[in-house]
Amino acid sequence: MQERSFLSKWTNVKKENLKYGWQKAKKMKVCYLFLAPYAILFFTFIILPIITSIFYSFTYYNILEPPRFVAFKNYIDLILQDEVFLTSVKNTFVIAVITGPVGYILSFLFAWFINELPKWLRAVAVVVFYAPSVAGTAYTIFSIIFRGDAYGYINSFLLEFGLIDAPILWFSNPAYIMPVLIVVILWMSMGTGFLSFVAGFQGIDNSMYEAGYVDGVRSRWQELYHITLPSMKPMLLFGAVMSITSAFNVCDVPRALAGYPSTDYAARTVVTHLFDYGFSRFEMGYASAIATLLFLVMILCKKAISNLLAKVGT
Amino acid sequence: MSEVRSTGSMTGLDSKKYNGEIIVTETDVRFVSKKKDGNVEFPIHQITGLAQVRHGGMSSTVTCTIKGDVKYTFYLSKGMRVYKQIDDHWDNRPVVKKTRADELKRLAELRGERIQKVKKHKVRRRHPNRSIGGDIGVYILLAIVACLMAFPLVFAIGSSLKPLDELFRFPPTVFAQHPTTDNFSDLFVTMGQSYVPFSRYLTNTVFITFVGTFGHLIIASMAAFVLAKYDFPGGRLFFGVVTTALMFSGYVTGIPNYVIMSNLGMIDTYWALLLPAFAAPIGLFMMKQFMEGLPTALIEAAHIDGAGEFRIFWHIVMPNVKPAWLTVIIFSVQSLWNTSASTVIYSDEKKTLVYALQQIQAGGIARTGQAAAVTVIVMSVPILIFIFSQSRILETMASSGIKD
Repeated sequence: MQERSFLSKWTNVKKENLKYGWQKAKKMKVCYLFLAPYAILFFTFIILPIITSIFYSFTYYNILEPPRFVAFKNYIDLILQDEVFLTSVKNTFVIAVITGPVGYILSFLFAWFINELPKWLRAVAVVVFYAPSVAGTAYTIFSIIFRGDAYGYINSFLLEFGLIDAPILWFSNPAYIMPVLIVVILWMSMGTGFLSFVAGFQGIDNSMYEAGYVDGVRSRWQELYHITLPSMKPMLLFGAVMSITSAFNVCDVPRALAGYPSTDYAARTVVTHLFDYGFSRFEMGYASAIATLLFLVMILCKKAISNLLAKVGT
Repeated sequence: MSEVRSTGSMTGLDSKKYNGEIIVTETDVRFVSKKKDGNVEFPIHQITGLAQVRHGGMSSTVTCTIKGDVKYTFYLSKGMRVYKQIDDHWDNRPVVKKTRADELKRLAELRGERIQKVKKHKVRRRHPNRSIGGDIGVYILLAIVACLMAFPLVFAIGSSLKPLDELFRFPPTVFAQHPTTDNFSDLFVTMGQSYVPFSRYLTNTVFITFVGTFGHLIIASMAAFVLAKYDFPGGRLFFGVVTTALMFSGYVTGIPNYVIMSNLGMIDTYWALLLPAFAAPIGLFMMKQFMEGLPTALIEAAHIDGAGEFRIFWHIVMPNVKPAWLTVIIFSVQSLWNTSASTVIYSDEKKTLVYALQQIQAGGIARTGQAAAVTVIVMSVPILIFIFSQSRILETMASSGIKD
């Protein structure tokens, strides 16, 4: 009955809606029972961290002492004083802008090309393209391929053809770190989104293409734009979400390949910066400010992309 | 050919619609409408039109006489349309089943057109909009890129099989000339001498992967089931939040998570790895999208039979979404198998395989061969799982899209 007195404060419509909702919720109790285990874990380990992260971002917190409120100091320091952060933003931005869209478009294109193959070959191709991202830490092999001495595969190749005189220190020379990292990240970019695309292509009804042919579609590119893209919108959005996630959360690859910290912070990304402050210096408040900014940017990116996708093929 | 029967509906002269069966013999057409108070029979002169006539074959011709002098032919074709046409020589023609091609040929003959033979393509092609040049270009491009994609993995396998002298040969080769498994056995020797034996790391990782994946599969499927099949207040909102949460990686939530874990007293226990893995949004997302494709009638039928929600979930829904299991499993295995757990696990004997890999790689140039061997061991498991479950996974991924 307490619910009733609470509800009576609302306007009639609201009241009716809520009453209806409440009754419905009561009737479907079992649904909440099913949802509960997941919802509790999800709330505790995904939603709560995000909320606490926003909260801590306004405090000074080092785990040992209780958090102390400092208002926007973390954000101001981050943007105005922390030069390493600006380097990391620049690096993340370069990585995200190159590997995000390029990886996304490449995985779409290759999924499309693979779709044209005969069935058995398609299965092989999907494995070959998807293997790098499913293999997880296999990228560490690049530390042998791009090794800094003459025994490194790339160095010896270049030495043999006389393109360079001395072996290049790929992961120590700031000039080469980023390009090499981008190559490695692109190598791994055929991920979940790619799988979703491959499956999406298979799901399109062939009669759509036949109808398109009758209506005057004459090349594979026209077909792509007018028939394929509009029917794949949900997968495109899913792929975009996946590619934003991986583009902004680059962390393991630079840490494992370029060292941590890397020479001149040349391979520092926002997430490695966050890691540094969070787990090496235990400045949780400061790290949380970085995390909060990252959340914001990712959510804005997703919004922008879903708006953009709404216009495709119309 | 004495009698042709076909179910359908027709309009009588009183412009009422009747459902029933049309029975055609060579001399007569009857339409029998089944009603509660017995069958009602209509002779042919009352029939003004036939609609939605269903028939088993491709198409059939029904010939009949109406009012003694006008001859009508009813073509019952696959398109469920009925054509009427006067045909003078109807009684000389046998009533035969016709295919669409026969029909087109006959019509062309009637119009006095020459019958065109349909050209056969020399190469059977799936798509009309493809040029051969373009196809070849695509194949070549795919082949080149596939080689580039596969090269590092092949190189890793090659390196792990190389003896020490070949690892530092100039110029280096991709494949070993004298392949050995020394690196793998050395690995066990090196790790056997260390404080924590290698097998311990392997067991830890297998344990985490197995328990984490299993728990995630059950918990996420339960939630996905009600989200997909029941409309209850808050359900849609919850799913929207999960969709957004797809973007938050473990690193970003890592710091507050650490604080939460330490408050719950779970630092340095496997719970710190397992519980967040149970709540991974991607598994719920995939499961829910796939379960939406399950026919609701299946669940309603079980309801009518008196099955409770849990029985429905366990005996009806779960066996029907097996392809989605594999997808959830591959994503979960992929993240758990590759976890280094460096932030929440401190004790060396609880660390994972990837952590061991990182330690070996930190060992520098002398450990190059062993590092390659560990890489091969670590990467082979998820890749093998993917190879064997690929077709099922793709089946699930087809429903993966995010609808606005």
